[in-house]
Amino acid sequence: MPAGFLALVLHMHLPYVRHPENEHFLEERWFYEAVTETYLPLLQVFERLVDDKVPFRLTISLSPPLISMFTDPLLQQRYNIYLEKLIELADKEVGRTYNSPFHKTALMYQHRFRQARYLFNDVYQRQVILGFKKYCDLGYLEIITCPATHGYLPLMMVQPETVRAQIATAVDLHRQYLGTLPPGIWLSECGYAPGIDDLLKEFKLRFFFTDTHGVLFASRRPRFGVFAPIYCPSGVAAFGRDVESSKQVWSAREGYPGDYDYREFYRDIGFDLDYDYIKPYIHPDGIRINTGIKYYRITGNTNHKEPYVSEWADHKAAIHAGNFMFNRQLQVSHLSKLMERPPLIVAPYDAELFGHWWFEGPLWLEYLIRKIHFDQDTLELITPSDYLTRFPCNQVARPCASSWGNKGYHETWLNQTNDWIYRHLHFAGAQMVELANRHPEAAGLQRRALNQAGRELVLAQSSDWAFMMSTRTTVNYALSRTKSHLRNVLKLTAQIKENRIDEGWLSTLEGKNNIFPRLDYSWYQSHYRPDFSMAL
Amino acid sequence: MTAFLPWFFGLLIIFLFAVAFLLLRKRQANFTLRPSPQKMPLTKLDSPLFKEEYAGDLTTLSKVIPQPQEPEEELPDKYNIDRLVLMARDPYWLYAYWEISAATQEEFKTNYGPSAWSQSQPVLRIYEVSGIGFEKQSVLEYLEYTDIPISDQVEDWYIQVGQPDRSFCIEVGRKLQNGHFITLLRSNVVSTPRASLSELVDEEWMWIENLYQTIRHQYGVSSPLIEEEIAGRAGIVPLGISSPGFYISQE
Repeated sequence: MPAGFLALVLHMHLPYVRHPENEHFLEERWFYEAVTETYLPLLQVFERLVDDKVPFRLTISLSPPLISMFTDPLLQQRYNIYLEKLIELADKEVGRTYNSPFHKTALMYQHRFRQARYLFNDVYQRQVILGFKKYCDLGYLEIITCPATHGYLPLMMVQPETVRAQIATAVDLHRQYLGTLPPGIWLSECGYAPGIDDLLKEFKLRFFFTDTHGVLFASRRPRFGVFAPIYCPSGVAAFGRDVESSKQVWSAREGYPGDYDYREFYRDIGFDLDYDYIKPYIHPDGIRINTGIKYYRITGNTNHKEPYVSEWADHKAAIHAGNFMFNRQLQVSHLSKLMERPPLIVAPYDAELFGHWWFEGPLWLEYLIRKIHFDQDTLELITPSDYLTRFPCNQVARPCASSWGNKGYHETWLNQTNDWIYRHLHFAGAQMVELANRHPEAAGLQRRALNQAGRELVLAQSSDWAFMMSTRTTVNYALSRTKSHLRNVLKLTAQIKENRIDEGWLSTLEGKNNIFPRLDYSWYQSHYRPDFSMAL
Repeated sequence: MTAFLPWFFGLLIIFLFAVAFLLLRKRQANFTLRPSPQKMPLTKLDSPLFKEEYAGDLTTLSKVIPQPQEPEEELPDKYNIDRLVLMARDPYWLYAYWEISAATQEEFKTNYGPSAWSQSQPVLRIYEVSGIGFEKQSVLEYLEYTDIPISDQVEDWYIQVGQPDRSFCIEVGRKLQNGHFITLLRSNVVSTPRASLSELVDEEWMWIENLYQTIRHQYGVSSPLIEEEIAGRAGIVPLGISSPGFYISQE
């Protein structure tokens, strides 16, 4: 047995940004960029590891909006258009940079984008989800779910029915696309409050994650701190985040991604190059945007930037992977002397940081996994399910309400920038629950309207909107999404109550906000409990 | 006269457009000018551990992007229901929002006289109810409480309770001129989260003290280390990324 275990967790999530009404919707690009820069590169990492027969175990949470976007034909088609355009630009760049220090990097982008096109179309037939399913089925990934639209559950707990519906929707979608019940869940923003675990248990979800203090400040002082999970009184396990390994990767002072040899995110040719040259590749209204082609390395703390040298960055990724492993080994050897069982280090990260922000992130991950396999015996990669199988006996204590947001509790999602949303969200939630209870056997048009009201409600509940209001990023978009989905719930519920459903408008909504076609309004009924005997 | 009619209709249409435009502008203005509720005074407990940093101007899509949008209806100001919802924001603060229906307001006037509403003082009453089951709320009248005078204009409030791991329930009511408190709304019960290690230690799972020394995290008091860790969390990026500590120094 190794001296200790490392559970790397990548949380993959983007809000549902599908806008059939406008083919140049900027927020949709979040999805396209993440596919090119994060999701496909991670799949390539897995592929290379498997080809080289490197065993590994990683935990990945695939959020339901992300799965829905992966599998949406319109977004798949638009992604291809986006990619073609990008390849066209990369081709031009290869010519433009000829004989300049940027030429090699231009060739790198050209190669990467072409590879993305090949992977997306030829390998996965546009179904990126199949890539993740493949490595899950092969036993490399443990894929877990996350609340339906990344709802921030602690602030929804005044209506447990709406929390249950978020989980029911997530579990159903996970089953549909991955073929199994999710073994555990990533609670959005690590947001936990007592009582949520009881709802998780209804869905046979065996574990979730909290921030460090979620476990550390549990109702009973945990014997092993955060280096072993605790069981909630409901029997669901809570795994606490390790601060040390998190700082190592993301801290401003000690973190890796700020290394001077790594690629500079903020120098994109979408902003740097001549307007007339770049015009066809930015927004048709002339708004400059990131193209994804960036030629500089971070270089230093000033605005002076030097050209990117991929070999140097590659070398640094290897060094940093070694450093990360070394530190975990030290940590584990120290802890294992104090504990009568191997310590568990839980290191969760937002997946989109790897590749999109930290360009070399996927490479770092690959080096880390290889080094853990080839270079040492102290550490072993593990997933929460594996851990619970090996160590089924754990202390029972109720975790502390917490999140991994600013200050560790709920303030990021409840402050003066976004507190007004809750009176509307809770009212809409109450309407939904009341109508679901009142119409146990809804059929036809009424059933469609109830189901769509459920979809609009979950879309309004995305924690992303409150987060954007809080951080003052893309606030107008967040406001518009929150209000429009809420208005749709209110209108739909009013129409259902007054028995005057506008079928034309309902059809429009079903087409536009088409997330979760299988969402069933009965999941909002107060007495609803999941029945897993139903067919997939 | 017949030549005048098209002109008349033309001017009418322009006039209607102008009115519609102004009304919309006004609605938007109303939203942005929404008065923020008066907050409780800050004390050292709430003073920020760090200066928040925002990377708003560094994000991919931070520039205001004109989306072709149809003019949006605002959400209703009121739903005309009685409700008082209480939420725990962190170990020290609660947040409450409420709405008093017209019917309840009328009922109050019927019971206490037509001028009683305007002559009474709206008050938030806060009870600490730790260890008392929700079903025993009738006990409230025997409990100690704290009153916060508020104004008729506010419909939400941040309440500083300053006590982690305690349960609270609040009421919205009015104090008559004779000092009597009339309850209008009662909230749900919420508990503030813990802010430190539990005092409860399991005999079979006795805590390993040395282990805790390796955890660079505050438990009880804030340390410079946690401040750094927390400051990192304020680094903001689009793509819905919220990893704590995600912060790349770009200055």
